[in-house]
Amino acid sequence: MQIRNIIICASLTAALTQVSCKKFLDQQPKTALTQDQAFAKLDNIKPLISGLYTNWRNVRKDRGGFMFELGSDEAQQGAYQVMTDPDQAALDKYDGYMVPRNNALTGQWQNRWPIVVAAAQAVYALQNNKEDEATRTELLGEASFIRAGVNFELTQYWGKIPISDPARLDQLGTKRQPLDQVYAYIINDLETAVKYLPETQSDKSHVTKYAALALLGKVYMSAPDDAKVRNFQKAADTLNLIIQSGKYKLLTNYADLWDAAHPNSTESLYEYQFNNTYPDNNQTQWQMGSRALANLPSVGANCYFGGYDLMVPTMYCYSDKSASGLWEAGDLRKAQSVRYDFTYKGITPTLSTGFGGDELDPHVKKYEDPRTDGVMSFWYSGKNIFYIRYADVLLMYAECLNELGKTNDAVNLINSTVRARAFGGTIPAGLSWDPAMSQDAFRTNIMDERMRELCFEGWRRSDLIRTGNFVNLVKARNKWTRQSGTIQAFNQLYPIPLTETLQNPDIPASDQNPGY
Amino acid sequence: MTKSLLLLLLSACTLFVHAQDQTGGSLTIKGKIREKSSGQSIPGVQVTQKSNPKNVVVANASGEFTITVPGNAVLIVHALGYTDEEVAVAGRSSSLTIDLEQGGGGNLDEIIVVGAVVKRRDLTGSVATIDAKAISITPTTDINTAIQGKVAGAYVVNSAQPGSAATIKIRGNNSLSYGTSPIFVVDGVIVGDNLNSLNPDDIASMQVLKDASATALYGSRGANGVVIVSTKKGRRNAGEVHYNNWVSWSEFERKMKFMNAQQIHDLRADAFANQYIENNPTADRQAYLNRINSDTSNLVFAPYERDTYKSGKSYDWLGAVSQNGMAHNHTLDFSGGSDKGTYYLSLNYTDQKGLLKGSDYKRMGARLNIDQNVKSWLKVGTYTTFTHSITDIVDGSVFPTAVGANPLLPIDTAGLYTLKWADIFNQDQYNPLRSLYIQNNQYLNRLLTSNYINVTPIKDLNIRTSFSADIYNEQQYSYTPTTTGQDLRNSNHGNATHYKMETYNLQWDNSATYTKTFGEHRLNFLVATSLQQNTSNFDQITAYGFPNDDFSYMYLNGVMSRDKTVLGSDFVTTTLMSYLGRVEWGWQDKYFATATLRYDGSSKFGPSHRWGAFPSLAVAWDMSRENFMSKVNVISHWKWRVGYGVAGNQNIPNYATMSLYRPVYSSGSVYYNSDGRRGNPDLQWERQKQINVGADIGLLHDRLNLTADYFHIKNDNLLIDQTLALTSGFNNQVSNVGSMTNQGIEFTLDYAIIKQKDLAWNFRFMISRDRNRVTKLYGNTQAIYNKGGYTGVEIQRTGNYILGQPVNTIYSYKFSKIAQVGDTAKLSHINFGGRTVHPGDIVPVDKDGNNVINDDDRYVVGKLDPDFYGGFGTDLTYKGIGLTVFFNYSSGLKRISSLYEGGIQSDGMEAASVDMLKRWTPTNTNTNIPRAVYGIPRFGIGDVDLGVQDASFIRMSVLSLSYTLPKSIRKNVFDNARIYVTGSNLWLITRDKGYDPETGDGFPNTKSVTVGLNLSL
Repeated sequence: MQIRNIIICASLTAALTQVSCKKFLDQQPKTALTQDQAFAKLDNIKPLISGLYTNWRNVRKDRGGFMFELGSDEAQQGAYQVMTDPDQAALDKYDGYMVPRNNALTGQWQNRWPIVVAAAQAVYALQNNKEDEATRTELLGEASFIRAGVNFELTQYWGKIPISDPARLDQLGTKRQPLDQVYAYIINDLETAVKYLPETQSDKSHVTKYAALALLGKVYMSAPDDAKVRNFQKAADTLNLIIQSGKYKLLTNYADLWDAAHPNSTESLYEYQFNNTYPDNNQTQWQMGSRALANLPSVGANCYFGGYDLMVPTMYCYSDKSASGLWEAGDLRKAQSVRYDFTYKGITPTLSTGFGGDELDPHVKKYEDPRTDGVMSFWYSGKNIFYIRYADVLLMYAECLNELGKTNDAVNLINSTVRARAFGGTIPAGLSWDPAMSQDAFRTNIMDERMRELCFEGWRRSDLIRTGNFVNLVKARNKWTRQSGTIQAFNQLYPIPLTETLQNPDIPASDQNPGY
Repeated sequence: MTKSLLLLLLSACTLFVHAQDQTGGSLTIKGKIREKSSGQSIPGVQVTQKSNPKNVVVANASGEFTITVPGNAVLIVHALGYTDEEVAVAGRSSSLTIDLEQGGGGNLDEIIVVGAVVKRRDLTGSVATIDAKAISITPTTDINTAIQGKVAGAYVVNSAQPGSAATIKIRGNNSLSYGTSPIFVVDGVIVGDNLNSLNPDDIASMQVLKDASATALYGSRGANGVVIVSTKKGRRNAGEVHYNNWVSWSEFERKMKFMNAQQIHDLRADAFANQYIENNPTADRQAYLNRINSDTSNLVFAPYERDTYKSGKSYDWLGAVSQNGMAHNHTLDFSGGSDKGTYYLSLNYTDQKGLLKGSDYKRMGARLNIDQNVKSWLKVGTYTTFTHSITDIVDGSVFPTAVGANPLLPIDTAGLYTLKWADIFNQDQYNPLRSLYIQNNQYLNRLLTSNYINVTPIKDLNIRTSFSADIYNEQQYSYTPTTTGQDLRNSNHGNATHYKMETYNLQWDNSATYTKTFGEHRLNFLVATSLQQNTSNFDQITAYGFPNDDFSYMYLNGVMSRDKTVLGSDFVTTTLMSYLGRVEWGWQDKYFATATLRYDGSSKFGPSHRWGAFPSLAVAWDMSRENFMSKVNVISHWKWRVGYGVAGNQNIPNYATMSLYRPVYSSGSVYYNSDGRRGNPDLQWERQKQINVGADIGLLHDRLNLTADYFHIKNDNLLIDQTLALTSGFNNQVSNVGSMTNQGIEFTLDYAIIKQKDLAWNFRFMISRDRNRVTKLYGNTQAIYNKGGYTGVEIQRTGNYILGQPVNTIYSYKFSKIAQVGDTAKLSHINFGGRTVHPGDIVPVDKDGNNVINDDDRYVVGKLDPDFYGGFGTDLTYKGIGLTVFFNYSSGLKRISSLYEGGIQSDGMEAASVDMLKRWTPTNTNTNIPRAVYGIPRFGIGDVDLGVQDASFIRMSVLSLSYTLPKSIRKNVFDNARIYVTGSNLWLITRDKGYDPETGDGFPNTKSVTVGLNLSL
């Protein structure tokens, strides 16, 4: 009996000691990299940076991609959207819903910060990496560009922002930094990008040195006074590097810019890469098209200019100059930018009961994707979206020349490039700009010219604020802003989202933007 | 750690080998043991002197035994398959006849806990038991449903969907966000909460461990309670065959009342006229109404709607997609045994057709339980069940769309892909008749097996090792054909999804138990170890672009849209390692104490926080055995219990201690992306400290039994998925952030009002109450909000954690009033955020009085958990006839019914509740139902507490009449034959306006009539 007991106890002991607790309980993920692993080597950092490009691109997808184009003098929400979503409506109305808890704005703050922080982690890891120098520096240039690009958006919309720098985390924390610090940081990143980025990229989703120069030029022009870095000379010099390189030229035919058959053309410094397959489509037409078409039973979602009226042109933006609007006779850009005719395959849609009433008013045309027509829903629309194109570089450069007192040169540049193309190569009599126009007249004219050339491409808000036209022009031209009548100068900055002030001890509610 | 516990185990082996035994006594008893109903003798029965378990004899083949005991001794008579009987010898003749009652199959008194066989009565603390008979009164294939209302402290919420299990919570909420379900231990195997693969007919008993002194046995997993399920075993020296069958027919328990075509027409006309006047305040309303109602106008009504209106018809879309339900269930079991061992074999088949066309659940299962003595010191056995089930799932859009369909719209499948109101096609209302074409079939195979080797090296020392596995294999296949609105909208040209998942939960338990008696002291030792490894993996394919619909999801080879193909897979392993020690002490069957210590290590936590200790202590005092109670005849027993213990919860997402990066495919290349969650290496267990005070009281010779418990629980280190400041770069992390308290009482009453030979009348009543409160969140945070909605960042009505409030609250605006004509001037000063508030519209309370209605004006307007709940019932038997009625109830809880809220917000362009007939109009101003108006943004009843439903209810869950055939009819063919008719959910009282206060509005609940048969050979 006793011997058997001992044998049993012993064998049990032996069996149990086979298992080491430590090993048994150490279960690492089998299908994911940990943070340490992800940033440890260039082979992993490279796809991480590709991920940053994709996340940056995704900010421009779908509804969210147009939140900051609303509430401008060129675009506003469709009436049905204003009726049904007060938070989003506030982006046009600048009313009591434009407050820290505004959900539409919170969403935009939310999707940008993970990109900034991950880019900062990549920069930090690359600064300490000891692998292949050429690869390391190129990646460093890319990560720096992305961080600068997204930070520039954040600071334009929200003003003072935290600086995400792992090397200085203890010192900076996550509190808002003064604008001069923020802009110095952005410019430093862009200088790094200019230094290390290649002149061309075979993978078009990656940025080049010239994209970095264009953005740097924009930053020098657009920085607010408090940032103490606005400098038209530096902006002009930077932009001139692009012009002098000879690598870019305007497409002869403005319409080709909006043809999916001409992606990444010689006019494109950088464009967000999309296609018609989820998740790489951008759903833009879903937001831009007309509900009247989407509701046609025989057509449904397969008409390429149907959609749900998130963003429509303001009356100013779709009207002719003769009707106190924007467009001059013969400007070929008008028909490419705005859709006026909604007849589809012989069907003339009508307004249905319950719509907002503006569904058959002119709509944004630039994002229409005829590749989807008849074969798939406009939800799959997926043309590339421009970040910066050469026409913008020329317009910015001309603006700098004007600010530097060289109005004559500025007018000649516009006449010979952007406006010439707009009229098919030759500007009709009387529409050529007068080289003798005053500096102020140029300032007014260039604002309209930028709208004609670049409307709905995402820079209008920045242009309005930079030129001091934000309140007066938006109030005059945006239907909902005018109706509400509540816009004020402080609305140039959006409120810091409530979720941030509640959860970030470094940004107390008292550190809110003025006016909110 | 391993070593020290092994030393303990070894010393336990050796120490007690040398222990002395003691005997004494003066009376010799000769007895005979019989089966109570038949009077036949039972051989092989074990008879033990209670105060001295070493004094034990075994009855011979004729059921006779002889034992010598002290004059005041109590005998324990124990036979496999019978309920244990205790017999006091004092004052009785030395020649005893003891009748044993069958224990519903198997030995009800022995259950498997932490890998060891223990006596049920040795489970100290608050433990509720439910036996096979109580389970069987509810005809169901889901065991959670079967115990609803029958266990105090177990809150069961039914599911209406065939094949899906009811949810169960023990003692309310003890965790904020990571799981409220108890763990289930089936014959020693810890299984997840998907228990509907178990056949209720196979269950012998269930024990619900409620307080921490009991759940501490399961340490890190015990905080939400433990349900121990023991399946049936065969009986020695008997061969039995049982056949249980039932057939049931079901229909909608009740339907929400919606407006018919004519009412909807008039509502819409009113809503549009109101909009017209809103926009043109000076216009002629009647002229507008005349215009829109004219035959030529298409302004508001489409021609098809005018035709329906004039015809007086109304189209019932729900009727078009529903059917009468029917279910049948068969269990055939064979059991028996000899001195060497027992067996139980059962076969089960069930088929349930649900109320929606095409909804079906089929299950086939088999169980084999064997216990066999190989040697006098060696016993082996298995408890194994295999289940195969097939669920045909109706697309989730069918029911809500059919309920919300336009009654003016003729039922049609020809050209209609999405439903329409007037001429506007609603992109979200896919034609439900077409959605029925969507195939979605789920196949589950599950092997649940527990296998043991038990060695008895010396008397009273049991060393047991068991290997268990819960192997779960799920396959789900779906196909959305080209003929559906879903397909048209997404331009898929047919799409199919294959999902295959395998889960292996392996468990190895080792235990040693030893019982020793020193004089009047009885000691029981248990040491145990357990290793668990849970691995699961899945793969998933979604393919698009099918050449035709003919092969459904079965042939992916020919799909065209290769670039849309979605692939997915994952492999996950988690492990848990435990050591356990327990000592029980009893003195004179009067005083009891149990101390337990469990030590758990889990792979879910980081290396520095991996291990946790979970101690508990329980004491009990059987007051009725004291001398001073001997004269109180009305009290037959009275036992006090006090328990304290610590239990844990580790139900967090896998790998939450690390920030993870995974590859993602996009546009022909691959990038790495974070999943947005920041790893938290400091994560720890949730820790629950619970004290329980209770009493078990038997009065009137145990005809009236009362059990009462009070508990107070403090839960600390609560785990939640905390959203982070966005500037952190991550969205969320799992953190130990808060504390909550939970306290409550439970009370059970069981009264055998009449207990005669031919007539018996029993009454049973149960009530439970628990109240929880969040007492701490991280830092100085007052609330953690649940964000969601269209933009993903709106504060939701539920899922918020607010300091000082219960966990599950509803957080919304409060209804102030319906605006009246005289209020216009006053209301014009308030900023309603773009919403119109004109006469007839809802006015919310401006909580902070700042004349702006925003999130600061939200209140906690109710909670989703009941104040109290339970069940009561009675059964009456006269000779062979039995009548049973059982009610469940739940009180003080609220519910959100989006369906009803939508029906009250209707403007005639969506389905409307008939309550809209009582809406505000200039002539009907004394009402809480707002006016109808089209296209004007207003507050809906869902924005204020007006829409919150009072989900309290009393439901007659069972009404059953049965007849047991008398012996004269059964003759010698059947040992037992019983037929019954049961009505389920026949009667419901509630103020809830939705479909059902308990199962909600997502899937229709049923009422049913069941006809059943039990036969025994």
